[in-house]
Amino acid sequence: MRQLAFGLVLLTANAVCAQTLQQAEARWKARDYQGANEVFRQLVAADPKNPDLKVRWGRLYLDHAQPNDAQDLFAEALEIKKDHPGALLGLALIASEGFEGRAADLARKALEGDPKLVEAQELLAYLALEDNDNPKAADEAHKALALDANSVTGKAVLATIDWLADKKETQWDPHVAKGYEVAGHFFVINRRYEEGIQYYRKALELDPQLYSARSQLGVNLMRLGQNEEAYKQLEICFNNGYQDAATRNSLKLMDSYKNFVTFTTPRTILKLHKKEAALLRPYIESEMEKAIATYEDKYRMKLTRPVQVEVYPDHEDFAVRTMGLPGLGALGVTFGYSIAMDSPSGRPPGQFHWASTLWHEMSHVFTLTATNHHVPRWFTEGMAVHEETAVSPEWGDRLTPDVIAAIKNKKLLPVTELDRGFVHPVSPGQVVVSYFQAGKICDYINNKWGWNTLLAMLHDFAGAMETADVVRKELKIEPAEFDKQFIASVEAETKTVVTSYDDWKKGMRSLVDKVAEKQWDAVIAEAPKLRDDYPDYVEDHNAYEALAQAYLAKGNKQAALAELERYEKVGGRNPETLKNLAKQLEDAGRPKDAAAALDRINYIYPMDAAAHRSLGALWLVQDNPKGAIREFQAVLARNPLDQAQAHYDLARAYQANRQLSQANDECLAALEAAPGFRPAQKLLLELSNSPEPDAPSPVKK
Amino acid sequence: MKLAALLLACAFSAPASTYYLTITGLGGEPDYTQHFKMWAEDIDTSLKRAGGDANIITMQVPTREQVRARFADLARQVKAADTFVLMLIGHGTYDGVDYKFNLQGPDITAGELAGLMDHVPAQRQLVVNMTECSGGSIEQLRRPTRIVVSATRSGTERNSTVFARYWAEALREPSADTDKNEAISALEAFRYAQQKTTEFFETQKRLATEHSVIEDTGKGTGERTPNLENGEGKLAASFAVVRLGANAAAARDPAKRPLLDRKEQLEQAIYKLKFEKAAMPENEYKRQLTQLLLELAKVQEAIDK
Repeated sequence: MRQLAFGLVLLTANAVCAQTLQQAEARWKARDYQGANEVFRQLVAADPKNPDLKVRWGRLYLDHAQPNDAQDLFAEALEIKKDHPGALLGLALIASEGFEGRAADLARKALEGDPKLVEAQELLAYLALEDNDNPKAADEAHKALALDANSVTGKAVLATIDWLADKKETQWDPHVAKGYEVAGHFFVINRRYEEGIQYYRKALELDPQLYSARSQLGVNLMRLGQNEEAYKQLEICFNNGYQDAATRNSLKLMDSYKNFVTFTTPRTILKLHKKEAALLRPYIESEMEKAIATYEDKYRMKLTRPVQVEVYPDHEDFAVRTMGLPGLGALGVTFGYSIAMDSPSGRPPGQFHWASTLWHEMSHVFTLTATNHHVPRWFTEGMAVHEETAVSPEWGDRLTPDVIAAIKNKKLLPVTELDRGFVHPVSPGQVVVSYFQAGKICDYINNKWGWNTLLAMLHDFAGAMETADVVRKELKIEPAEFDKQFIASVEAETKTVVTSYDDWKKGMRSLVDKVAEKQWDAVIAEAPKLRDDYPDYVEDHNAYEALAQAYLAKGNKQAALAELERYEKVGGRNPETLKNLAKQLEDAGRPKDAAAALDRINYIYPMDAAAHRSLGALWLVQDNPKGAIREFQAVLARNPLDQAQAHYDLARAYQANRQLSQANDECLAALEAAPGFRPAQKLLLELSNSPEPDAPSPVKK
Repeated sequence: MKLAALLLACAFSAPASTYYLTITGLGGEPDYTQHFKMWAEDIDTSLKRAGGDANIITMQVPTREQVRARFADLARQVKAADTFVLMLIGHGTYDGVDYKFNLQGPDITAGELAGLMDHVPAQRQLVVNMTECSGGSIEQLRRPTRIVVSATRSGTERNSTVFARYWAEALREPSADTDKNEAISALEAFRYAQQKTTEFFETQKRLATEHSVIEDTGKGTGERTPNLENGEGKLAASFAVVRLGANAAAARDPAKRPLLDRKEQLEQAIYKLKFEKAAMPENEYKRQLTQLLLELAKVQEAIDK
């Protein structure tokens, strides 16, 4: 009797469980997430050691854009049952969303546990296509279809391969919303945003409640600057409970657009935050114009519409623009003709060369446009990195420890697989290494085969040719042979730094201690070798600054100046150090070089009113009143406490530029702030004795 | 009221003497000790360089008894017409009731400091408390003729501060003299140090952990932005902490008295005109301003001859 009763209880519990699990799934299917969640909660409470329940519950969270909660449940399932295929798959899906390199390993491990787990097989196809490895993606997709002839992702991956190659008709068209959503994703990560948007629209025509697709539609409309519709789409998602980070943050970002002002010229659209618009506009706008003119010449093409640049003083706002996109630079991003980037004020001084980033992103506008967005990631990034140092050797990124380690450990990727380094990096540093490698490849081709070959490659990519074929066609060499020659060249170029890197690290530690202890003779003795072993190292506690400090302490201003000039030429960016260089140059009777040093700061950290004032003063005496006007206007744009001095300086610059009406106005403004300011009083008297003031005229640098 | 403020603003007539007392407290760590010493020396140098009729004392990490003894001396030396400036650099604490300035040995409370300052006969006093938690000292230190500057707005801002660095800078920086009268007032120095402190946190991308305030009415809790509306800053505007030039020299030449009188009239007229700016047509304002400023410039030229 007890046994039976026990059996009955068990039977009843199983029946309730089975019935309730069905309810949970049914509610989930009906997109009643709250209801489904409640049922899962009860189910897990009743059967806490059941890993299957935890995995399904985790998938519900994943579907509801709560990956952190999902991850906890998958981890709990794995604690109960090691290598649970469903839990491994769940983790693989989460890793895939973050473009983590381990996603494929997890999916493969899930398949080992359950060879019929079609979703894991589908994920492998999806990941291969993200790496632009079409043969592998097709192979994995066919395997998924072999497991399930109706595999939506399997079909979608195969169809997307055709669509990405501009084949309009494909036998693999999935004809379901989820399938078109997959296609939309691939067009977006290949920077073909307009087409991606069309696939998301197609998905929504079939299933208007597919909020993940609707959210992506909104996000990508926002990326292209179509904010009105973007906001509407995202708001629908939000109001229907789909509130993932991308939806929430994009709405928040668009709400903040009221704080931005837009400046347009026939070729540029510049969006700046109100608080720094007056300061940054002259600098950024002129660089945009210069970059467009330079690139139109270099790429032999004309842009058909203005380029838009949005500049975000809050890095978190900028980060929203790059959410859900793999392998993008942390400072700027380009969507067709639209660029978003950090403001120079968004980073600590010296950490960010905004002009270098701007030219990098502007280069993408050209390579993307020239290829109708068919250029592979590695090539567009490589060209962009190449362009940074083409503007000036001091621009661009320096050789970093990550890159040195990659060269030393032979971790550079074959050119045909380089996209993988951007899309699915196996370590956080691999994206940086991939940027370096791509840039170096373009430098290498430019040096060995010439600029025309790079342009020819660009045109081949426009025709949807693959990297291997382009290398064969334009470089007349097999990709493997190219890799061999390229890597040999990089190794030769970096031999000193790579072989001495470990010793350099030890030496630098010792040098930093000696600087702290003010052992200047020892610093002067040891620093030159450390500097020459790793000349690109210009970050904190570098040998250049240590040496300059030591020389100054010893009273050897000439040697200090030489060291600071080396620092500047190799790409040092600490504004304080560059200001010090300018001072030393001025003291040495080289005002023109001092002005040039201060002007470099404008491209790095133009937020320093004192540097603008110094540069304005130097330019004024060097008969460059237009430059002085720009610098003194920048001082005023920083709203300095000393308004009188700032207006007076500007008045003098206007006077030197024969803009006497403006000079008079600025002089009055100076005296309005400080009526007893004698230099301004003298200038006012002088101006009052001048001939009739000129009519106001616009000021340009 | 406006005229009274103006007269205060113009009242930079030299007092009998200015007494400065700068005290650094315990650093606790070598970095802090070094910084406190450096900032105090910076202030000391600026004050001595400015010269004039000043009595400058800097005490590095004294005991409470030494501080009391110094105040006893001051109570004897200083006259009512003199000016007294106390600057505190170091660490402070606040337990919700008492503010304490950390010294070698027993600390000194805000209440005791206020009492010591009350015994200094100078009518015009300035205390600049640049420690963390210094906002907690305002209530004890404030008096109707005493300006209180604190590095923090309350006693609960407990992170060590950088305000002292920029206050010291203000006293040697000509750009702090925003009205170009060759003297840096307490208000100008406060605004300079406040802006530089704000920029420091912005540039470093750090959350600001100190918010300096000023109180000079004897009844407020400290204002971030002293102005006509909140009534703070009038006394501080007329309190010259450092004189940068010899602007007082002309005042002693009887031959130039008429010119100085005319100059003062013009300055008052400009001050009045600026207040009426919002209610005037722009062109008319500009015309009148130009006229007054030109005449002022000519008068100043004559004074300088």
